[in-house]
Amino acid sequence: MNGRLSRFATRVGAMSFKEALHVRRDPRTLYMALVMPVVMLLLFGYGVSFDVDHLPLAVADGDRSESSRALVRAFTASGEFDRVAEVDPARADDLFRRSRAAAVLVIPWGHARRLAAGRPAAVELLVDGSDGTTANQVLAKADAIVRAEGRRLGPAPASAPPLEVQVLTRYNPAGRSAVYLVPGLAAYLLAIAAVLLTALTVAGEWERGSMEQLFASPVGRLEIILGKLLPYLAIGLVQLLLVLAVGAAVFEVPIAGSLWLVFALGLLFLVGMLGQGLFISVVTRNQLVATQAGALSSLLPSMLLSGMLFPIENMPAPLQALSRVIPARYLVHGLRGAMLKGNGLAVLWPDLASLALFAVVIVALATARFRRRLA
Amino acid sequence: MTAARGAGWVRLAAVARKEWLQTLRDRRIVFMLVVAPLVQTVLFGYAVDFQVDQVPAAVVDGDRTPESRLHLRRLLADGTLRRAAAFESGAAALAAMDRGEVALALVLRPGFGEDLLAGRTARVQAVLDGTDPNRATVAGAAASRYFGERAAELAASRAGVEPPLRLVPRIFYNPSLRTPPYMIPGVLAMLLVVVTTIVTAMGLARERESGTLEQVLVTPVAPMELLAGKMTPFLVLGLFDVLLVLTVGTLLFDLPLRGSLPVLGAGTLLYLLTTLGIGLLISTASRTQQQAFLGGFLFVLPAVLLAGVVTPISSMPRALQLVTWLDPLRYYAELSRAVLQKGAGAAELWPQLLELAAFGIAIFGAAAARFRRELG
Repeated sequence: MNGRLSRFATRVGAMSFKEALHVRRDPRTLYMALVMPVVMLLLFGYGVSFDVDHLPLAVADGDRSESSRALVRAFTASGEFDRVAEVDPARADDLFRRSRAAAVLVIPWGHARRLAAGRPAAVELLVDGSDGTTANQVLAKADAIVRAEGRRLGPAPASAPPLEVQVLTRYNPAGRSAVYLVPGLAAYLLAIAAVLLTALTVAGEWERGSMEQLFASPVGRLEIILGKLLPYLAIGLVQLLLVLAVGAAVFEVPIAGSLWLVFALGLLFLVGMLGQGLFISVVTRNQLVATQAGALSSLLPSMLLSGMLFPIENMPAPLQALSRVIPARYLVHGLRGAMLKGNGLAVLWPDLASLALFAVVIVALATARFRRRLA
Repeated sequence: MTAARGAGWVRLAAVARKEWLQTLRDRRIVFMLVVAPLVQTVLFGYAVDFQVDQVPAAVVDGDRTPESRLHLRRLLADGTLRRAAAFESGAAALAAMDRGEVALALVLRPGFGEDLLAGRTARVQAVLDGTDPNRATVAGAAASRYFGERAAELAASRAGVEPPLRLVPRIFYNPSLRTPPYMIPGVLAMLLVVVTTIVTAMGLARERESGTLEQVLVTPVAPMELLAGKMTPFLVLGLFDVLLVLTVGTLLFDLPLRGSLPVLGAGTLLYLLTTLGIGLLISTASRTQQQAFLGGFLFVLPAVLLAGVVTPISSMPRALQLVTWLDPLRYYAELSRAVLQKGAGAAELWPQLLELAAFGIAIFGAAAARFRRELG
């Protein structure tokens, strides 16, 4: 029994060694597997933010009074809007089509007179609604500015405001996007690299015809699968370390919980993703098809259905159900819990269990579908 | 001369026919070129929703008066927040936030209703889960706006005056601010670059691996004819994918088609010239399919990110905004959005068309020159 186990370990080790040699001989692969995540992390960390300021605002001032200019100044002084042009309101459409302005502030003639008479003065805001995120921010910001300006113009407020809301923010009080994104990105980058690198390996053996030589050797199915998995697992763990290190060093992403828990989550996720890549590779036996299938099955779900960027609870029910079989969902939830909220095993064990289940099932499937037969 | 040119066309057509057959014969590739775009359009259309609504909120009503119930009900009725749970104590609500069950806790202390009726300042506490800053901002703003409006109303009714300034918004193009009409043109830009760049890069690398490129060179086919013939099927498939996405977009997501479709078609052709050229450049720089694939990815991922497909370019730092000027995806995403949503035509979009043309000619020209030198 012991002898069989040690022979098994020797053959898995030999397969891993062979695979590691492949990777080492082609340093470009390694370079890209390790440089790409860092580049992506920096790009995402600096580039992805939904918070817009200096929005281009065109002004149609039909009043040209001290009061109308004061209102425009209130818009630009906050830094939220930049005044880009003076237009005729009828030409707003033209500005929007050329993407020169996100909104047009229309102050009608008689603005100052109405204010002076103590009558309410309405100003119109034309908003380019083609980009919903930006339009929402334009609306919220303009609303706050006009409200503040109204308070300034209005009668002196009563001694105490009748209602007051106190807002406290936990976990990420500064509201930095990077803190939110890095755990999600870790899942995304690990999924891409792990699925795609392994998707190519077995398919490549079939294409080059070296699979036949492997069949002639005493190496078994599970041994081939595990041997191919191990070197990429090592690369994946290095990637995880890199992502965490860059996240902590550049974007000051905290690790509030246990580092061991973070690595346990990452390890289980990686085994699952590598297994998924191998499964695709075993089924397609063609590098071109394997990469497209790998990209489709790893990149899209890990970005769209994992909750990395878009909250799962806002999706339609069938997609919410689908997201339950996406391992990235559990990793994103687990990493955010462990890194930002400091959650422990008591809260995160369902994530660990789901990731482990996926890993076992997918490696078993890949092994079962892997036939030691020639096509 | 004319005979030579005629023969050139015959050879080009023959290569294109052979490539077309070879591509179509591999069912799996066709599947990827047709089904993948469908899946992406549907996924992006349904899963991506920038509108933050139905944020799960926990309610801790320590007051239990008609006033506290009235304000909680009205705040939770506007759709931004959703009542997910009610707790007896603030600590229980915070524990639910730790588990991720709620993203906002509204705490009303005993005495809220009494303070309000007596004219003292009634205080409400809103505790936010800040892990998702976007959601936290919107949920916090909803609570602040609701209580701010009520406070202004109450103050005005106590003082007997109306608020002096009022903002009347009018939203163009997409009044309900739905995400799919914005997202799908972006998906189009992303999809075409993934399909054409990576498939071209890997397809040519595969021919180099198996040595079939050299075999074709023994035949009278010139390198440029070979190249044009190889690119034609992808050009056709790219245009087909555009039609497919537009059809699915209009049927499932009410994507408007307001502008000039010829401008969109011209933009697509120029854009495909760029993406195919990049695929070709990558294939000339790599020896194996794996390298070609990774090279393709190294280009595609940042290019998609910098195109403003997922997040607005105007929210990026200045330095990155400058880099986006070098991203052909940016111009194509702008063009398709302006044509489909805003009804723009050549009069407004000539800068984008010009930029796409410049990229297309420069990149494809450089790639073709490299390809020729390599084979010549």
